[in-house]
Amino acid sequence: MTASLLTLADSRLPAGGHTHSGGVEQAIAAGLVRDPASLAAFLLRRLVTSGAVAAGLAAAACRGRNLPVLDAEADARTPSPALRAASRQQGRGLVRVGRRAWPSPLWDALPAAPHHPVALGVAAAAGGLTPRDAAAAAAYLSVSGPATAAQRLLAMDPLTVAAVTARLAPEIDAVAEDCLSRADGELSADTDPLLDLLAEVHATRGDRFFAS
Amino acid sequence: MRTRVEVVARRGPGGRTVLPVVRGSGQLAVRRTGPSAVHLVATAFGPLGGDDAEIRLVVEEGAVLAVRSVAAAVALPARDGDRPSVQRVLAEVAGELDLRMEPTVVARGAHHRAGLTAELAAGAVLTATEQVLLGRTGEEPGRWTGTTRVVADGRPLVHTTVGLGPGAPAWLPPVAPRAYASTVHVGQAAGVLTAGDAVRLPLDTGWVATAWGAELHTVVRAVEAVA
Repeated sequence: MTASLLTLADSRLPAGGHTHSGGVEQAIAAGLVRDPASLAAFLLRRLVTSGAVAAGLAAAACRGRNLPVLDAEADARTPSPALRAASRQQGRGLVRVGRRAWPSPLWDALPAAPHHPVALGVAAAAGGLTPRDAAAAAAYLSVSGPATAAQRLLAMDPLTVAAVTARLAPEIDAVAEDCLSRADGELSADTDPLLDLLAEVHATRGDRFFAS
Repeated sequence: MRTRVEVVARRGPGGRTVLPVVRGSGQLAVRRTGPSAVHLVATAFGPLGGDDAEIRLVVEEGAVLAVRSVAAAVALPARDGDRPSVQRVLAEVAGELDLRMEPTVVARGAHHRAGLTAELAAGAVLTATEQVLLGRTGEEPGRWTGTTRVVADGRPLVHTTVGLGPGAPAWLPPVAPRAYASTVHVGQAAGVLTAGDAVRLPLDTGWVATAWGAELHTVVRAVEAVA
């Protein structure tokens, strides 16, 4: 591991992730997230579905697999238009800061406005990181941003929310490990229809704080 | 037990569909029930854990095929160990495939893995439904894992895996449904539609609709309402 991984997973990296709640805003509106226990359950279901998919894509992109092909696979694993838009927005944001932070010809192989995990894998490779690092960053980011969003929306105790996220460390590691131990080229496609529904209901609201 | 089914639908003289290959072995027999329709008939209880079924469907250009089953399948645990039962549907479609089987009920302690892999040529039409109930009446839920991958004209259109039941990592209260239904359609586009516990998402020239809840009959109605 190098310090690049810490930078990549840092919420202060200005890639635009702070404007997204990962479905937490709508989960709160639907009464599914109310307190630390229900937040932990929500983060876990997000981690093992979209987090696992993101980890697999990021590791594969870091490994140098064909990026437009991976981007199309990301689309197929993200049928919700709201979630696709959120992923591509964050991908574009990461490319903008990543190109400056870790200049490399690798960026040129990305399609325009790539899915975030694909851009994340390229950022990891450009920063000299391994596919395992890329997977870990993707898995971690799938819960860290939503946890912060819940803290803000519910005015939760920051120490409690930090502890909820920290206690997911074994599950985050397991997700990152799992995508490396899969058979050659097989990418997770785990999905949670609940997250699709929440994202699409959220997209129609006029009173939202977060973009997704 | 190993089950193999193969059906080929071909455009015949005058544009009518003929079925040059209709073959079943293991736990499924295939019956022609219409000029372009077959029913799968279970010839044994199950599937049991460890059973492996592969259903190959080929619908050539200009042909139409409807595939049904005669009764719900009840997936039961392996007699020894905790191996899942597996059913893979592999479809190659250049014509029109309509795949609507009866529900799968997953008994307590069983794990059933269902897969649909469809390769569509340009202009192909596909409708495929899935209906799942975890546990028989008064029984604890079993576990179900379903993967759908549709590739249209060489491009992946949708690829998702849904895991339900105890042990599935994202099957967590308060949203841990016993009943689930999903329909994927390619041929005619439709936009986003949401309902209580149901959602329709657009695909290029198609859509995928999903619903979940406590009772299968209400979930099936919900998925039909957004389909």
